[in-house]
Amino acid sequence: MVSTTTVVQKALSIISKEVRDPRYFQILFLGSFLLFGVSYLGWQSDMIKYAVLLVSVLITQLAFTRLTIKIYSSIKSALITGLGLCLLLKTGSVHTVILAAVIAISSKFIIKVNNKHIFNPANVGTIAATLLTNDAWISPGQWGSSVLLWFFVGAAGLMMILKVGRLDTSFTFIATFGGLLFARQVLYLGWESSVWLHQMSNGTLLLFTFFMITDPMTTPNHKYARIVWSVVLAVGLFVASNFYYMQTAAVWLLVIFSPFTPLFDKLFVAQKYEWSNTLIKKV
Amino acid sequence: MKKAILSLMAICSLGQVALAFCGFYVAKAGADLYNKKSEVILVRDGKKTTITMSNDFKGSVKDFAMVVPVPNVLARDDIRIADRSVFQMLDAYSAPRLVEYFDQNPCQLVYPEEDKEMMLENLAAYRKTNSVILRDKIKYSVTIEAQYKVDEYDIILLSAKISGGLKKWLVDNGYSIPARAEQVLEPYIKSGLKFFVVKVDLNKYNPKKNGGFLRPLQITVKSAKFTLPIRLGMANSKGEQDLIVYAFSKKGRVECSNYRTVEMPTNKKVPTFLKPNFGNFYSDVFRNQYGKQGKNAIFLEYAWNVTPTWSGVKCDPCVGNPPYAREFLMAGVPWANTNGTTTYFTRMHVRYTLDKFPEDLFFIETPNKEHYQARYVITHPAQGDLSCNEGKRYTQTLKLRRESELRTLTKLSQWDTNKFYDYVANGTGKTVSMKKSDENSFWSVGLKDVGDKGPRSGLLFAILTLLLSYLVHALWVRRRLAGT
Repeated sequence: MVSTTTVVQKALSIISKEVRDPRYFQILFLGSFLLFGVSYLGWQSDMIKYAVLLVSVLITQLAFTRLTIKIYSSIKSALITGLGLCLLLKTGSVHTVILAAVIAISSKFIIKVNNKHIFNPANVGTIAATLLTNDAWISPGQWGSSVLLWFFVGAAGLMMILKVGRLDTSFTFIATFGGLLFARQVLYLGWESSVWLHQMSNGTLLLFTFFMITDPMTTPNHKYARIVWSVVLAVGLFVASNFYYMQTAAVWLLVIFSPFTPLFDKLFVAQKYEWSNTLIKKV
Repeated sequence: MKKAILSLMAICSLGQVALAFCGFYVAKAGADLYNKKSEVILVRDGKKTTITMSNDFKGSVKDFAMVVPVPNVLARDDIRIADRSVFQMLDAYSAPRLVEYFDQNPCQLVYPEEDKEMMLENLAAYRKTNSVILRDKIKYSVTIEAQYKVDEYDIILLSAKISGGLKKWLVDNGYSIPARAEQVLEPYIKSGLKFFVVKVDLNKYNPKKNGGFLRPLQITVKSAKFTLPIRLGMANSKGEQDLIVYAFSKKGRVECSNYRTVEMPTNKKVPTFLKPNFGNFYSDVFRNQYGKQGKNAIFLEYAWNVTPTWSGVKCDPCVGNPPYAREFLMAGVPWANTNGTTTYFTRMHVRYTLDKFPEDLFFIETPNKEHYQARYVITHPAQGDLSCNEGKRYTQTLKLRRESELRTLTKLSQWDTNKFYDYVANGTGKTVSMKKSDENSFWSVGLKDVGDKGPRSGLLFAILTLLLSYLVHALWVRRRLAGT
């Protein structure tokens, strides 16, 4: 009896240490969004592509890890990239899926400055597939808009960003973008506030806010730098979507802005984020 | 086009089995099923959008007026009048379809003679169907940018500075404008849009022509915005309105970018007694899906490569003839007739209300080339003597199949299928014997109101799972760890 308790306690202790890695939460949340899409939004027909995509990111990550750092816990990051790609990229062919997966993961290992990769891998994978093939696209309306979606993605996102300490990035971004949009759509143009709410509760925007720009590896290290970075991104998105009617502007802007991150890191010096930070501090 | 049909025929005439395999189109659920409906042809080419608006206005034409916000002042060449028949043609071609198949009698390895004849007849039938610009600043802060007379239509292009002025101008010039219009016009004015205002010239209108209907107007606008302004049409209506969009693009499928585009359930096997009632069945399937998807989604009913020179199968089977040179020209898709360009056709069905569609519809061209059609299948049982062993086994599987067809029917349309119990029992004989009293009303009896469910149950489930996992982690795992 006693020994059983000790075993359970030991197991719990190990699980608990591991679970402090915020990436588990990210995998859980992104995975549940994908599950939601497959079961309720009619994405069943893409199941095979999702499976191929996840296997491809894992294989690419393993290959690169073996050749370079040999720290296999990074497989979690690859899974996050894979899930992110599943949620973002639409395509008609399995080849495109593999291409996106390989480019996404390779970009992490190849395009680096100061030992920090520049592009958000899921983001760069999506853009590369869109540019290089004729059958990849982003479907901004795939989530629809719902206040409930806000609550769901928001709640999950909040837990996530509290864990990785990127509250500043998400909130600055969404507040700036939301404020500008409200000023234009409601105060200036005179649309009812339901139009604003409809645009703000778009699932793609929420995922972008809470899961994409919060990536600690591709956002500036210093808090103030992140705030400036988020404001610039939000203003860019507002202008591109409201005056140039670019419907997938967010994803493109992130790719364009990402190379400026090292510049921000140079101007505002701070310690680089480590996934294990939270773990070391608490244990 | 000729090529396309020939290749379809080639598949269908491979032999008797292939003949049955192709199935025959027997019914369609066209746009005329819906009460308050409008139809629009939307053609996107680069930054150019050609919009053709059908007109089923039924009142007195002297009361007819139409105001459409447009991004630029249209030149005379940008305005055309289309033929109503193009809508009928596109609707007939792309409407959700019911197809029928015939089981082969396992005891007689060939078709009964009459069935064969009927099929050949069907196949034969199937083969056979194969300006003056005025700048006049007036007291309303409204500028008449251009004015045209296009056959029976008087068209004015206006720009305005204030919505009150525009409304007053419209009212003073004899247009009847809904009370809420001012509020809705405002955002369009401030976005710098112009207004395409149409009235009927009674001297030129002949009520005896075109079946008393007004002819559709076609306009070409240039803007990065790919949109359909539906908000103005909701100014005086709170009820549900149906809109069928026939979209053409060079790239692939067109989908909505600010609402979800959902495929209608397709390739479902349904009971044979739906044959005469397919329209009612489909409109209930639509109603059910509409409710299930939260009443704020857009439904895909058809998506196909319709390039005339493309030799692939254009539909399986075709409900109507695929569009060809004349139809493409009328629909505003002239490039479809030039070699080397591909043309994709997407049919979308929207049922919108003021509260569920707060924003105009925005669209996006995708490179999605996957073919899709809303298709429902009935399979007639084998005829003749089924007393051989194979025949007995067939009768058993037929019963199971019919049970499954009834379940599909309930699932899709929410019809109460209890009254069709004899459909399973009489599987090998005629189709269901309906009681007389049921004949006219069976589709509406027992129909549950699907309401506005949306995908909420899933969301709630997911939220609860997340909260639970977080609580377990926060309270239990951490505490255990602290204890150690």
